[in-house]
Amino acid sequence: MKQWIQKKGWKLLGVVLVLYSILMGMMVPLHSGISARHPLSAQAGDTTVLEIEGYNTHFAQAQDHLRVWLMLGDQWTLSAEHVAVVDERHIKATFILPDLLPVDQQVGSFTLVVDNPIDGVTLLPEALFVRQTQIDTQTAIAHWPQTDPMIELHSGPALTFPFRNILRETIRNTYFHVPMWFAMIFIFIGSVIYSLRYLRHQRADDDRYAAALTTTGIVLGILGLFTGMVWANYTWGRPWSGDIKQNMTAIALLVYMAYFVLRFSLEDNEVRARVSAAYNIFAFAALIPLIFVIPRLTDSLHPGNGGNPALGSEDLDNTMRLVFYPAVIGWTLIGYWMSQLLWRTNKLKAYLEAYEDGPPQLK
Amino acid sequence: MRLAKEIWYLLQKELVLEWRQRFALSGILLYVLSTIFIVYSGFQQKLAAPLWNVVFWIIMLFASVNAVVKSFVQESGYRQLYYYTLVDPLALFIAKVVYNSMLLLFIGLLTLLVLGVVAGNPVTQPWMFMGIIGLGSMGFGIIFTFISAIAAKARHSATLMAILSFPLVIPVLMELIKLSLIALGFTQDTDMAQDVLILLAIDLLLMGLALILFPFLWRD
Repeated sequence: MKQWIQKKGWKLLGVVLVLYSILMGMMVPLHSGISARHPLSAQAGDTTVLEIEGYNTHFAQAQDHLRVWLMLGDQWTLSAEHVAVVDERHIKATFILPDLLPVDQQVGSFTLVVDNPIDGVTLLPEALFVRQTQIDTQTAIAHWPQTDPMIELHSGPALTFPFRNILRETIRNTYFHVPMWFAMIFIFIGSVIYSLRYLRHQRADDDRYAAALTTTGIVLGILGLFTGMVWANYTWGRPWSGDIKQNMTAIALLVYMAYFVLRFSLEDNEVRARVSAAYNIFAFAALIPLIFVIPRLTDSLHPGNGGNPALGSEDLDNTMRLVFYPAVIGWTLIGYWMSQLLWRTNKLKAYLEAYEDGPPQLK
Repeated sequence: MRLAKEIWYLLQKELVLEWRQRFALSGILLYVLSTIFIVYSGFQQKLAAPLWNVVFWIIMLFASVNAVVKSFVQESGYRQLYYYTLVDPLALFIAKVVYNSMLLLFIGLLTLLVLGVVAGNPVTQPWMFMGIIGLGSMGFGIIFTFISAIAAKARHSATLMAILSFPLVIPVLMELIKLSLIALGFTQDTDMAQDVLILLAIDLLLMGLALILFPFLWRD
């Protein structure tokens, strides 16, 4: 039993974790959100009817408990005078805007807040720009309308992924694109470790392992690149926009493909193992600035570069962590298993080549 | 101390060897000149600073590869073996890196001179630009020398050299292009020191690794 867990358990764990991440990543619904609103701007003192389009919302079901606010800054809230439900996804909220805004600018930027017991609270920043003709902060504060306070907000269903306006449903790609990339890095590190072991002990097995891991790493890298392109097509508007991160990824793949060109052009097994191990280690060291340093110094659209956040609390909430980390572990284990299979076939091939005239006499 | 002495003698040997068989050196000179004339006759005008910059570094890159590729194949395997028995292999490698870096510095300054005469010279801070060429020669020298030691083990070493080394020099090249745009007065960068430090860190990392890995390469 113990042996079984050691030999097969990690493979099973890898399969389970990947299946779990695919299932959860695809099945868990998105939190409700505001996908559109109209109009985008208004005049102070007007009565505005804001048409709101929700995403994953149940406005009709929650009809009587529906509450809508406009919020200016952190403390100035204005609740809707009247909320008319059109259907599950559309409502019309009527606001009576005050004559003066408590800001010392011509335009105040309001955040839209919608709350109901079924979907929970959802908000859209910079939803409505209100223009005022004169600026008088003191009077505005004194005459701010007393409406329903923004209290007793609902949290909504527990198991949801956050709704982000640019990402929407593509937020699920977090469980494919990012873990594949992580797994690729781990696999390449593994490959370097085997190359180092080869240089220490000169065992042909270590060299075969390094080559097999590199192959799997390239496969994971290509998958990561393609899932990234699918994502970029949705969020950046084009699958390939020549972003520094994309270029660096392509170059990284070139470096590892060159590793195989080198292997093919060396005939002697021993020399091939030695030289390609040296190149593998050198290439990995040259890749570290390529992937981790350079993209951080230049402008990039990719999260984590050019001042964009990545994997902070903003991007990864607790529900997402529940899927993301298992996906990273799962893809790494699957990658390692794939490399092991590749290593076995390569070893068998070498064995068959060595004994073309029939199997050797086993003692 | 013995290592330094060996490096010094090997460096002299490289210089003498280069001088005795001048075809390699004159080949590189002709290469640089003809590439610059092709570029010039293609554009038929003075180049804008960013374009000039890219053209300069591309000429420099290709000339460097051609200059360095011979460093481990020009002498026969038996003579190499003889060197390894005479001196520390590390001394041989360091001498090659130093010599190649000097050669690349020379190529870089020559390219700067000829390209400056033919296609206009937008460099506003010449000393700084020469310093950047120096940094670049060092980075290229380390990477190309190590890769040429690898490529020398295989057939078609010239092709293999380009395939193996071009992706690896891209981080260095990108930093160089970014830095030299400052020397061209095209951009202003307040944290130039950071870029120089990154470049030096990459050089140091790769040189350290090359020194560790070279002993595994020369033995046959």
